Amino acid sequence: MPLTLHIKNPKFYLTLLAVIVLYAVVLSIRNQFIGDILTMVFLFAGLSLSWNILGGFAGQFSLGHAGLFGIGAYTSTLLLTRFGLNPWLGMVVGGVLAAVVGGLVFYPCFRLRGIFFCLASLAFTEVMRIFSTHFRGLTEGAMGITIPFKEGLAHMMFRGKSGYMLISLSLMLIIALVSMIIKQSRIGYKLVALREDEDTTETLGVSTANNKFIATLISGFFTGCLGTFYAHYTLLIDPESVFNVMFSVEFALLAILGGIGTVLGPIIGAFLLIPIDSLIRGYIGQAQQGLSFIAYGALLVIVVLFLPHGVVSWLSKFSAKIFRSLPGGSAQAARAPIEPAVKTAAEHPARLVFPPILEIKKLGKSFGGLRVINDFDMIVNQGEIVGLIGPNGAGKTTLFNLVTGMHRPDSGTIIFKHHDITGLNPPHKVARLGVARTFQVVKPLAGLSVEDNVLAGAVERCPNIARARQKAWEIIELVGLNKYAEVKAGSLTLGGRKRLELARALATEPDLLLLDEVMAGLNPTEVEEAIELIRGISKRGLTLLVIEHVMKAIMSLADRIVTIHLGEKIFEGTPEQASKDEHVIKAYLGKEYRIC
Amino acid sequence: MLAQVILDGIMMGGIYALVSLGLTIIFGVMRIINFAHGEFLMLSMYASFWLFQLFGVDPYVSILIVVPMMFLIGLISFRLIIQPILSAPEMAHVFATLGFSIMLQGLALYFWHADFRAVRTAYSSTLVKLGPVFMNFPRLVAFAMAIATIIALHLFFKKTYVGKAIRASTQNAMSAQLMGINLKRIYMLSFGIGIAVVGLAGAVLIPVYEVFPTIGSLFVMVTFVVVILGGLGSIPGALVGGLIIGVIESASGFFLAPALKEGVYFVIFVFLLLLKPTGIFGRA
Repeated sequence: MPLTLHIKNPKFYLTLLAVIVLYAVVLSIRNQFIGDILTMVFLFAGLSLSWNILGGFAGQFSLGHAGLFGIGAYTSTLLLTRFGLNPWLGMVVGGVLAAVVGGLVFYPCFRLRGIFFCLASLAFTEVMRIFSTHFRGLTEGAMGITIPFKEGLAHMMFRGKSGYMLISLSLMLIIALVSMIIKQSRIGYKLVALREDEDTTETLGVSTANNKFIATLISGFFTGCLGTFYAHYTLLIDPESVFNVMFSVEFALLAILGGIGTVLGPIIGAFLLIPIDSLIRGYIGQAQQGLSFIAYGALLVIVVLFLPHGVVSWLSKFSAKIFRSLPGGSAQAARAPIEPAVKTAAEHPARLVFPPILEIKKLGKSFGGLRVINDFDMIVNQGEIVGLIGPNGAGKTTLFNLVTGMHRPDSGTIIFKHHDITGLNPPHKVARLGVARTFQVVKPLAGLSVEDNVLAGAVERCPNIARARQKAWEIIELVGLNKYAEVKAGSLTLGGRKRLELARALATEPDLLLLDEVMAGLNPTEVEEAIELIRGISKRGLTLLVIEHVMKAIMSLADRIVTIHLGEKIFEGTPEQASKDEHVIKAYLGKEYRIC
Repeated sequence: MLAQVILDGIMMGGIYALVSLGLTIIFGVMRIINFAHGEFLMLSMYASFWLFQLFGVDPYVSILIVVPMMFLIGLISFRLIIQPILSAPEMAHVFATLGFSIMLQGLALYFWHADFRAVRTAYSSTLVKLGPVFMNFPRLVAFAMAIATIIALHLFFKKTYVGKAIRASTQNAMSAQLMGINLKRIYMLSFGIGIAVVGLAGAVLIPVYEVFPTIGSLFVMVTFVVVILGGLGSIPGALVGGLIIGVIESASGFFLAPALKEGVYFVIFVFLLLLKPTGIFGRA
């Protein structure tokens, strides 16, 4: 849902109000203990928000952010104590260094799935701790570095807590604003999509690696900056305290507790947990130290088990009602459906003609000892609908995978629109050239709404979000999912999911569309509807290569049939000819088949 | 000198292998990375310590008590913490087990305080001479136990019905269920076995190391490295991985600097994850 920055939107004026209140509170607080807690709350909220950009939006669970935090702290501190560099400049340098190190270290780790990335990032924090303890010449080792106190804004040091509170609050708000902007931008949609399903998002033309890298840079920069602030707050940094894995865990925990992937979540998490943390430490004291651990650990477990989506998702149950009842709220709630732009349907800009659009020559692929594609030739002409049929295991889906860049062929060439795409990978490169596909087992981005799913396909090509949204709506109408636009993709029926898969593929504005058993699992009425839909798509100028087992459908749709058996082409011709060809009959159709 | 360094590394490696066995079994069967692994080790070391301190039970004899006890604790922990998160996304595993590990550390800190506890027996400082090299007796025993346990587990998984059922569940949970295997029970059993092995490791380690509430964190990272190096789910992998890491650690402590020992294998860890995350014996 777009956040329209309109003065009448309750979300907007409430946020503005909250910001004003926060500043007012900060300026009026005199109590040092509370001042300390608030400073820590804002600091950790900022750190958690930064973590959230990578861990929440992109879904890359990092336990390495303490490493980036420490880099920021040490960089600015060393620049200050050794070269007298102003801490504000040092903060920027520290932030940039943290971003760069984070990017360099995390980038190769992105291809590690889930828990392995987590472990690698954990190892990074530990390595930073060990190296900074050992290389005393650089970092003064385990003793740490103290910052000599000099009061003043220019020195980022203050006697009371007010100055610190103002700075950490401002930093937190800046990071929150950046998060909001990211969330509404094209990159935000891409990150959210790749978080749901990376492989599928690649096929939409999105370079998952590049987007995660950008997220890391932003996340790292702010984390580093906050490290500098921390150094100037505590006036002493040492490896054990800044390169501390527990900090990494805390950044993540606050986001999870509040609501991972949201902007409000990390802030709520910090407001909830940090004061409790301080109070426990204050009141329980040294002898009972174990108790604070027990409570903290228990909280982690409870949050994971019972509140995995965080406080924000629990609150959103009531918040929708509350927002509607506020002045200006109901106008927002009754959001007009976006008007699709003036019929872009027939508007495929005068297409360059590529006869043929796809040319496969002598393609070969083996998996281990099994030859799955052998000496395969095929041509698809622009504007055609070509049906690819054959028994299970013949190699049809493998062929699709080879064309779209998910696997690399062992031999042969694939030419698409005059580009040699043989072995081109990652898949997003092929997708960007104009090849889209659907999957045999549908892969909706289950946690996202139908609209967001289709948007994920549209954002790569469209220069701005508004345009992308219009395109998405137009396509949603085309496939007949308008009533379900806000519904979570995971709760659609199979028929709905198949339409969604198609819509998402269409949103990438392909020239060639590969459909993999679209009719599977549909009842006869749905099959009829699908046939009509596919005909309509073909009329828009797309070329279609269709794998299908539902003979009635493919025989009536296809201009040409190619039959594949045991990885080899055994027939090519019209549907009529196919039904009579002895090889096709023997391998696949069976003697009694007649075209109806 | 070099021979001594290598031998120390091998002895240490055996210990790492023993400690890592439980983790690799648990991951191999149910794909859970148990961040609380080190804390179970800590608990069993304390158990052995208190049995010695209060009842004069020799650590090696305490195995008979500690192992079944840890097996039960494993079953209970599984039921309370692990089972609810089995179907949750992987990150939930990290956090739930991490939270559990912090809780256990807190409990140990609260009840037994931060003091280091040691078990001193008649043989604690005995050295065994083998040619030009010396071996510390308790470490030697730990090493021998590691080998024995690995062989025993290997036989268990290969020859017994339950062992085969566990292996079946590891390879294909759905099919195993269709064959009549009660998956929940198998998981619970495997977890219990994994923790029981950790119990053995603890009893055998208390003559070698002093115990304190956070000793788990000392071992947990190296255990992860060993397990991933050897291949998650592979028992021979835990042995090979342990030995390799032990020798690397010993050598880098000797040739580089003691403080950098950990750093070296962490760096190796990251490269391992990038280049061959399945490890030596692991399946993809």
